[in-house]
Amino acid sequence: MSDRALLIWHAVLGFTALFAATHHAVHAVLAALGRAQDRALRRLGWIAPAAVLLEAACGLAIYPAYRVQVRAADFDLNAPVLAQLFDFKEHLAALALPLVIGAALAGRRNEEPRWPLAAVSCTGAAFLWTAAVIGLYVTARHPL
Amino acid sequence: MRTALAGIAAFAAAYLISGTLQLPVPVYDPLSRELFFARAVSGVAMRYPGDLALASAAGIAAAALARLLPPQGGLGVAAAGALSLVALDVLFYLSRLLASL
Repeated sequence: MSDRALLIWHAVLGFTALFAATHHAVHAVLAALGRAQDRALRRLGWIAPAAVLLEAACGLAIYPAYRVQVRAADFDLNAPVLAQLFDFKEHLAALALPLVIGAALAGRRNEEPRWPLAAVSCTGAAFLWTAAVIGLYVTARHPL
Repeated sequence: MRTALAGIAAFAAAYLISGTLQLPVPVYDPLSRELFFARAVSGVAMRYPGDLALASAAGIAAAALARLLPPQGGLGVAAAGALSLVALDVLFYLSRLLASL
């Protein structure tokens, strides 16, 4: 598979992970407010981790191409701030992994109190949103 | 939830320590297509996947340990502790980004 095809898969899986994590966060907040959300949290309890893991695997697969074709060839020479911005995005994506997976797996159990689950799930979703926006911006500046 | 929080806390701590202390991790050089262990990287060599693997291993190990141990302290304290470690990571990497501006 070419680097461009992998980049498109990375974007598609990224948005899948983003929306799954956001859905989970919304249901976790509603559960913390006392609404019955067990069914939705169980369903998203496997969708969100699967989407995030697939997206991360796809991202790691195109990372070498980014390092050579984008970072070394352009950003390091012409826009070092963009290289740092992309690094920050990668760190956010890395930290979102345990947050989304941990919240998704913990949400499958009906455990009180519910607000720690909501806090972890919302933080994971917020990190994914930030990483997605930075990723889109950097890709718009220099795609693979 | 305790298991997840232990995993998150260990992941955040290991990820920060691995990057800042430059612990030896698997490093991949996409030009020579070589995989080796190293502390510092140069050129296009990348240690990000190695840091991620190390932190993931720490997170999984901590989660497995938390599953075996009896629960200690409140869930709120555990959540606050885990999220504080994550916030510390974000602040550190944000400071590096802002320093480059």
